[in-house]
Amino acid sequence: MKLPKRTVSDEVPTSSMADITFLLIIFFMVTNTFAATRGLDFAVPKEDKSTQTIEKQESVLLAVHPGGRFEADGRAIELDKILDYLRPKLERDPLKPVIIRPDPDASYGDMVRVFDVLRQGKDKGVEVRNISIPTQREIEQFWY
Amino acid sequence: MRLKARQKPNAVVPTASMADIVFLLIIFFVLTFNVDVDKAQVMLPKTGLRFEVPKKSAVISVTEAGQIRVSSGEETSTTVSGYEDVLAFAAEQVARDAEKAFILKADARVPYQTIDRILDSLKQARASTIYLLSDQETVEGAG
Repeated sequence: MKLPKRTVSDEVPTSSMADITFLLIIFFMVTNTFAATRGLDFAVPKEDKSTQTIEKQESVLLAVHPGGRFEADGRAIELDKILDYLRPKLERDPLKPVIIRPDPDASYGDMVRVFDVLRQGKDKGVEVRNISIPTQREIEQFWY
Repeated sequence: MRLKARQKPNAVVPTASMADIVFLLIIFFVLTFNVDVDKAQVMLPKTGLRFEVPKKSAVISVTEAGQIRVSSGEETSTTVSGYEDVLAFAAEQVARDAEKAFILKADARVPYQTIDRILDSLKQARASTIYLLSDQETVEGAG
């Protein structure tokens, strides 16, 4: 009996490759999140009572009030004028502490705006080296 | 004059390069793959200066409604009931890794007193670095 000769294809079947890879893409697209992974870093000073000797008179106090109002040493100031206000003071004393003190009812966003302005000072020729954001507990503990 | 025989157009769509393109897309998604440990919807504050936060940092999120969630950066965030829990969580993270970075993912509209209490908890737990998560400030939004 003569058997029919079977020919084996020498091609690798790749037609389903695109389907598989599309499924993988769909998986990654659904599970992937373009998460916000950037922000302003804030080095926390070590809580050491001996270093908490900043005198209010020697520092610049930036107050943040509700409604996006800002004050520098008790006088109302625009956000974009803060660096101009600090420039002469920091030229005299580059290590002058700048204290951000937001009102409890001020928005967090406004506090971050002030912090961002101070951090950007380096690029604008006014490097603020000593930024402090004391918490209410620290203020009560060390200032009063 | 004898005209040339009409060429029959090939009816097959060439798909050989499809897999290559799709593989490139897969490589892109694999490289950018990032599972968000905290799904809280917040309107982040906008800043001009932004730095990349370290991977696997602990996350503390605060929504506009004041709901606080924490995550060690490796598992999905869980809701905490008060600032004492934030302090306990931060202390535990710092005890495991003294250089652990913390990400504060807070809504820009949250009253500062909430943030103040959280920052205070982190300071008491002796956290070394805190990242205030933000969105990029655009030129229109700068004013």
